[in-house]
Amino acid sequence: MKKSKTIRPERERAGIDSSARIETRIDHILATEDALVPSSGFLASVMERVQQEAAAPPPIPFPWKRAIPGILLTAGVFGWGTFELIRTSGPAPGPFVLNWLALAPPHLSPAVVASVQSAGWVALALGASLVSWLFSRRLAGRGGLL
Amino acid sequence: MTTFNPKGTQELDRADIASVLAGDVAAFEGIVRRWQGPLINMAWRYCRDRGRAEEMAQEAFLRAWRGLAHWRRESSFSTWLFALAANVYRSELKRFPTETQPLDDAPEPSRPASQHGALAAKSSAETVRRAVLALPPRYREPVVLFYFHEMDVAAAARAMGLPEGTLKARLSRARALLRQRFPRLEAEHAAMELTALNPGKEAAR
Repeated sequence: MKKSKTIRPERERAGIDSSARIETRIDHILATEDALVPSSGFLASVMERVQQEAAAPPPIPFPWKRAIPGILLTAGVFGWGTFELIRTSGPAPGPFVLNWLALAPPHLSPAVVASVQSAGWVALALGASLVSWLFSRRLAGRGGLL
Repeated sequence: MTTFNPKGTQELDRADIASVLAGDVAAFEGIVRRWQGPLINMAWRYCRDRGRAEEMAQEAFLRAWRGLAHWRRESSFSTWLFALAANVYRSELKRFPTETQPLDDAPEPSRPASQHGALAAKSSAETVRRAVLALPPRYREPVVLFYFHEMDVAAAARAMGLPEGTLKARLSRARALLRQRFPRLEAEHAAMELTALNPGKEAAR
C-alpha cells in the first residue's frame, strides 16, 4: 500500500515531465523558424498596384439627391395602392371613405357622377405616368419633354 | 526574428503615413519596405506556400493602403497592421483553403537515434510545423500568431482581437493536440539535450 502511494506520484510526475519536455520541443520548433526573404520584385509589385489604385478615379457616389424624390413617390404610390386594395376588398366601406355622390352637385345624375369619377381616375393615372417619365429623364440627365 | 516595434520604426511609420495621407503615394514605399518581411513571414505561417504568402501579403498591403486613414493613433501602427493582415489571411484561407493532411495522418517522427541527427530533427520540425495547419481553425490561428509574435500572448491576442484568456485557453488546447500527436518528440528533446551537453561525441557519431 505504502509502495503504491510512492509510485503513483512518481508516475504522475513522470507524465508531467514528459508533457513538459514535448511542449518544450514543440515551442522550440515553432518559435525557431527560418525567416523568408521577400522576393526582389515584391516591393515593386505592391507599389505598382498602389499607384494603380491611387490613379483610378474615385467611385461614383450614388445620386441620393436625385433618387430621393423618386423613392418617395414610389413609396407613396405603393402606400396609396395598398390602402385602396384594403379599402375595396373590405366588407363594407367605412365612414372615412369619400362618398362622391354626396359631394356632387344635386342637379347631376348618379350616372354622370360615376363617369366623371372614372375620367378623373384615368386623368390621374396619365398624370402619374407623365410625372414618372419626366422624372426618369431628369435622373438620366436630360431636361425638357424631348 | 527581429522585434517588430522599435521606436525608430514607429516614428518612420508615423512620418510616412502622414505623407501618404497628405497625398504622397510614394511615401507608402517606406511602409512596404519596412513591413514586407514580417507580413510575408506571417502569411507563410498561415499557408506554408511561398507564392501564396506573397500574394496574401500584397493583398494585406493594399488593404492597409485603402484603410490608412482609419488607423487610430492610440495603438501602434504594427498592431493595427498585424490585426488587418490576420483578417486578410483568415478570409483568404477561408475562400481558398490550403491543402492539409489531417492531423492524425501526419507522420510521427521516428526515433532520432535511428536517423542522422540534424537532418532528422529538421524533418520532424517541418512535420510539426505542417501539422499546425491541420489543427482545427479556432486552435490553428492562436498557435500561428503566438509563435510569430515570439510567444507574446498579448500581441497575439491583439492581432486576433481576442481576450488574452481566450487565446491562452485555445493555445493550451492546441498544444495538447500536438503533444498527443507527437509523443516521440520527447525522445528528440532528450537527444538534443544530450547533444548540447556533449557536442564532441555527437559530432564523432
